[in-house]
Amino acid sequence: MLPTLSSRLTYGFWAVCFFLFIQLKFGGVSELKAADWPQWRGEERNGVSAEQNWSDRWPDSGPPILWKAQVGAGFSSFTVSNGQVFTMGNADNTDTVFALEAATGKTLWKHSYSSDLGDKYFEGGTTGTPTVSGDRVYTLSRWGDVFCFERISGQVVWTRNVQRDTGARLPSWGFAGSPLVLGTRVFLNVGEAGLALEKSTGKTVWQSSTGEAGYTTPLPWSYGTGTQVLIGSGRGYVGVDVITGKELWRIKWLTQYGVNAADPVIAEGRLFLSSGYGKGSVLIQPGTGAEPEIAWKNKVLRTQMNAAVHLMGYLYGVDGDTTDKPVLKCVELASGTEKWANPDLGCRAMMMAGGRMILMGEKGELSIAPASPDGFKPTARAQVLGGKCWTVPVLANGLLYCRNSRGDVACLDLRLSAAK
Amino acid sequence: MNRRTFLQVAANAGILVQAPFVLAQKPGRKWRIALVGSGWWGKTVLKEAIASGQCKVVALCDVDASALEVAADQVTDLNGDTPKTYLDYRELLEKEKPEIVIIATPDHWHALQTLAALKSGSHVFVEKPTGHTVNESRAMLKASRESGRIVQVGLHRRLGPHHVNAMKFLKSRAVGEVGMVRIFAHSGGGVEKPQRNSEPSEGMNWDMWCGPAPKRPFNGKLHPGGWRNFLDYANGTLGDWGVHWLDQVLMWTEEKYPKRVYSTGGRQIAGAPVLTELEQTSDAPDHQVAVYDFEKFTCIWEHRRFAENNAEKHRIGAYFYGTKGTLHIGWQDGWTFYPNRDSDLQVHESSQLQQPEGHNLKILWADFLDSIESKRSPAAGIELAHRSSVLPLLGMISLKVGRSIQWDGANEQIVGDAAASALLSRPYRAPYLYPKI
Repeated sequence: MLPTLSSRLTYGFWAVCFFLFIQLKFGGVSELKAADWPQWRGEERNGVSAEQNWSDRWPDSGPPILWKAQVGAGFSSFTVSNGQVFTMGNADNTDTVFALEAATGKTLWKHSYSSDLGDKYFEGGTTGTPTVSGDRVYTLSRWGDVFCFERISGQVVWTRNVQRDTGARLPSWGFAGSPLVLGTRVFLNVGEAGLALEKSTGKTVWQSSTGEAGYTTPLPWSYGTGTQVLIGSGRGYVGVDVITGKELWRIKWLTQYGVNAADPVIAEGRLFLSSGYGKGSVLIQPGTGAEPEIAWKNKVLRTQMNAAVHLMGYLYGVDGDTTDKPVLKCVELASGTEKWANPDLGCRAMMMAGGRMILMGEKGELSIAPASPDGFKPTARAQVLGGKCWTVPVLANGLLYCRNSRGDVACLDLRLSAAK
Repeated sequence: MNRRTFLQVAANAGILVQAPFVLAQKPGRKWRIALVGSGWWGKTVLKEAIASGQCKVVALCDVDASALEVAADQVTDLNGDTPKTYLDYRELLEKEKPEIVIIATPDHWHALQTLAALKSGSHVFVEKPTGHTVNESRAMLKASRESGRIVQVGLHRRLGPHHVNAMKFLKSRAVGEVGMVRIFAHSGGGVEKPQRNSEPSEGMNWDMWCGPAPKRPFNGKLHPGGWRNFLDYANGTLGDWGVHWLDQVLMWTEEKYPKRVYSTGGRQIAGAPVLTELEQTSDAPDHQVAVYDFEKFTCIWEHRRFAENNAEKHRIGAYFYGTKGTLHIGWQDGWTFYPNRDSDLQVHESSQLQQPEGHNLKILWADFLDSIESKRSPAAGIELAHRSSVLPLLGMISLKVGRSIQWDGANEQIVGDAAASALLSRPYRAPYLYPKI
């Protein structure tokens, strides 16, 4: 078993990869740190942004809306990189990947391809989020279409349908994980325990068996002497070797309809796993054997779709299904005990920046509250969208991007310059 | 004060809120129960059985191996029972001999499984409607009578507190003479696009899922849950929702059956049904009207899966039109009496449902166990539920033949219409045999 410190040090290796990039971008420009959000769950893949240039002291009428856009039906979130915002949507059984200008919402490029709306038991549309890596953008559709685009021009570098090519079983709601780019590879939650492609060509490096995938985004974890990719599969959570795809450990985790959708949360050298439909959550520590050691297991926090966010020893997330009065909760990581619960606004999607939760309520109510085990005390609220909002809002460089399932996008100005 | 004022019924003299009938838990005795059809609703019923504290779950059955495994895991998680799992209900019955079997499969399987469970000596809790065709339901009724076992049907609105109280209000004649009832279920919707057929999920016996019904290519629209809108396996909204409200009508009236049934409807909005090797849509009507002629009143069913119905207050339920006003019995919205005269007060009682599904299964399950122990007829027993289940099935026959049918309820025969009469049964897919009456 590894101590927390050692785990943090190895994790630090990945931070070095971004070091030069961050220096070039922000070094000496501003004292307040502004941050991009190049992939699902952000730069650190934990739902937390380093963004500092923002405020919740907005006018009584709510934060100024900088621009609006319509991107088509779906639940895809946003990625932001170098002044561009990426998202996806579906209209007329066609998916479209959008690159919008972050400051204006102007369409810089878009790419469409035929794709079923797939609206069984929900509104349908796209569910994954584009991933930006350097000068490339990668996307995965619900039905297995993978694209690699040139980030600036939107030119298709390569494309293939990995569901048809590998024979991987299509989970009930289609593939929902976003691509993970690591080194020279792209990792996808396709098949029983992931799929690795060469990022320059899209060729398969390794593939797992054709069993049912879950709905998480592959998450890298430097653990022990190597790096593994964590996959939420249809019947459990798995750690696979990044190089070979070999399964290192697995925890059987059966959730109704195979909906292991919430991403694993890496916290203090351990993994917090959670799913909805009454299932519950578990804190595990994979050891040397094939079965991980369980620190605790309970039903306090059952995250159906969006994963909890970990901050300073506490988890913040939504307990319960969208159909069953979900409740925002704070849970102590070490013990799994509930610190507080708040039922307002029902289902909520969340990210964090500067120690504060940025929450989008199911009906488009934005609220900001300090992430604290002492209680839920929102400091600002505003109605910013209508319709159904299950999508995580994204704050990057002072601007907040939010959407509803119909694909109405609003960009809100939360920069310090816009504060009252 | 005007008619918009709502009175809570508890405060209204003459009407008392009755505490739901729930049994005190009896320690010691545990029924050995099994579930056939381990999907969403089957597990919802099973959870009530477990919550009663009087049942031990000995076995689960489903043709979908992964759904089965998840269900077994959930049972262990709930109460520590470790049920055996079976892909074939016949093997389950033979090896486990459960005392109670819950049947929550699609409608086309109800009859064969109920007959088999009764034959093996089990009491049965079966979902509504009883059968997929009228003669299946008759066979289930006959088998239940011959077996001496209890068959409870999932018509939980028979015991739901706000339904029971609304019936008291209705029978107190506070609504006056009722000459017409309109029952309905409306929702939003539009064009239905075909979905590509696909491989059934891993470890699923699709042939067995289709069972005695025609075998369609697997499609995500069918399973899980979507079969309600495929006429090979169910009877659309009339079969799914209509049976609950037709059952309410039979709870109220002293008449046992209508003398004539007419239905029309179609898929003018959803579009023509599609069934090819490549893709399919559902085929149940997107809207439908069915008229049931009783001696003393007319009952009209209507449903739409488009337009929502924002022009009216309610989207689901029953309107009893009386000489003193209109009584609405609904679902989440409880019941409300809208009097004729502005000077009279509206009367309202909120629903008392188990959420999130909004049912009253706890009371129904308690009644079921009590009826077994005290050897009495259950509240939603097959004697009553058969009569209620026949009504949507007759509506579907009229829709299919495109004309009114005369119903001889005493003999359960359609009068003078050979084509319609033929639809009281249907051919089974080999090797399954249609039950004998």
